[in-house]
Amino acid sequence: MTREPLLVLDNITKKYGAIEALKGISFAIGKGEVVALLGDNGAGKSTLVKIIAGGLEPTSGRMLFEGREFLARTPSEAKAAGIETVYQDLSLATNVDVVANFFMGRELTRRVFGVPVLDEKAMEAVVAAALASAGTRIPSLRTRVEHLSGGQRQAIELNRFVHWGGKLVLLDEPFAALGVEQTRRGLDMIKHVASQGIGVVIITHIMQQAFQVADRIVVIRQGVVAGDVDSSQTSPDAVVRMITGETLAGAGPAG
Amino acid sequence: MNPSTRRALEFVLDNLAWFMLLAVLVVFSATVPNYFQPGIFANIVEASSVLGVMSIGLALVIIAGHMDLSVESVAALSAMAVGIVFCSAGIGIGVQLTPDWLGVPVSLLIAIAVGGAVGAINGLLIVKLKMSAFIVTLASYIWVRGLVLALSGGRSAQDLAPVIRWFGVQRLLGLPLTAWIAIASFVVFSTIMSKTRFGRHLIIIGGNENAAFRAGIKVDRILILTFVLAGAVAALAGWLLAIRTSGATANLGIGLLFNAFAAVVIGGVSLKGGVGALPGVYAGVLLLSAINTAINLMGLPATSTQLIHGLLVLAAVLLDTLKHQLRQKLA
Repeated sequence: MTREPLLVLDNITKKYGAIEALKGISFAIGKGEVVALLGDNGAGKSTLVKIIAGGLEPTSGRMLFEGREFLARTPSEAKAAGIETVYQDLSLATNVDVVANFFMGRELTRRVFGVPVLDEKAMEAVVAAALASAGTRIPSLRTRVEHLSGGQRQAIELNRFVHWGGKLVLLDEPFAALGVEQTRRGLDMIKHVASQGIGVVIITHIMQQAFQVADRIVVIRQGVVAGDVDSSQTSPDAVVRMITGETLAGAGPAG
Repeated sequence: MNPSTRRALEFVLDNLAWFMLLAVLVVFSATVPNYFQPGIFANIVEASSVLGVMSIGLALVIIAGHMDLSVESVAALSAMAVGIVFCSAGIGIGVQLTPDWLGVPVSLLIAIAVGGAVGAINGLLIVKLKMSAFIVTLASYIWVRGLVLALSGGRSAQDLAPVIRWFGVQRLLGLPLTAWIAIASFVVFSTIMSKTRFGRHLIIIGGNENAAFRAGIKVDRILILTFVLAGAVAALAGWLLAIRTSGATANLGIGLLFNAFAAVVIGGVSLKGGVGALPGVYAGVLLLSAINTAINLMGLPATSTQLIHGLLVLAAVLLDTLKHQLRQKLA
């Protein structure tokens, strides 16, 4: 399957002092494509996601986003370019309510005597509609997030990225705290997002999830791409061998 | 528990400082002779103006998850700056402006510029150089007070220009204008905190700075601005203090920091950050003032004030813990 490339990574490296976390990562993500990023603990997956999302700067290498040279120095720059990220440790402020979290950094305002004030009603209506369409039930949108369960929190975070969408979504172990049913719904959400032409990168440890949702599987091992294959042309066993380093099947940069 | 009792309980918890204030006023009115009269209540409000304004700045910084120990010294420096320029006796130069009323905006501007500058230094060191807010503002607490001493040479400025003094003399509905300035500050800053994006972002930063950063909120800019605001508000408190004492002395306002802390904590602001609102802080300030007034009326030695304030802060922190546990049961 050839798709228009959305994001191209070209020989990305990251050094922490003498430690080389990434030794030159090259692959591409197409529009509407779901790429599962696999690899053992410490392989460099999260570092790579942070570099794309603007949380870290690469030591060398370049990125092309929609054909143009791209480097996000801060998360807000990445967001402005259309890159949304769901992190492993949730990015929710538990001291404010569901609505405030959903609109974090993007609050709607209306003008009262020329002064922009928060438009709580409009924001609450948007959140209610977004959660209802995703089938997420939360008793009150005015509940502070600290009073919600782990699953409910993750659901808010997932609904947030589905709502804001953008052009590329990065998910770092998004289902860690979810139950079976919620995970299934989360995977459906990912497919739904991808069907709108949004690129998705998902980091996961669970092989089954990767095969359920991903078009392509990219394996990172010791800071390099150890495998880059269509998920229809490989098997979980083969992928495990790439992760552990027994084979280098399909290695090399993707076109 | 049915929803309406639950809502009522939540309401009491959210406004606990006001209920405490009400209870204290009722108890004192019933037990302390001469407490229950309008003049006393007006005095409680009046006496809390300086502390109230200072507590606003401190509360903003603490809600953002940081700390500002310098507010007391900043207020003193601003008061001294205003005193030196606009006092006619002591070390005052007694600058005369024409027209006369220009002294009001100019003195305010001087005070706020001084406070804002110290706040900017604090903010830049803490945010850009990632130094500990506690240490940076402790240092400011010391060097700013040192600057006050150096500027004044240990002497004082007296006889503030009457046009500025006017704010402390002129009354509206039984309260001097200085008290109304404090009340207006609470209204303005409470509105900023609950109704604007800046206030919302400040609360989110206090709750989870990392999440705010990832959400694209300009955390650094907002935090520096908060320290500048805290300095500027402390300077306004200093301006009010200069009016109240009709000048400035080198040891002006010493001890106010701890009262401001007490008011902020009693008002329901958590030192962990992200929790609390300014109306509660005003209740905390009034509560301290109500207790001081009772101590005065009962003729207790002034030393007992500190003892009682200390115990009150402990009680407030204890209450905060209990409140937290209660809330978790409610959820």
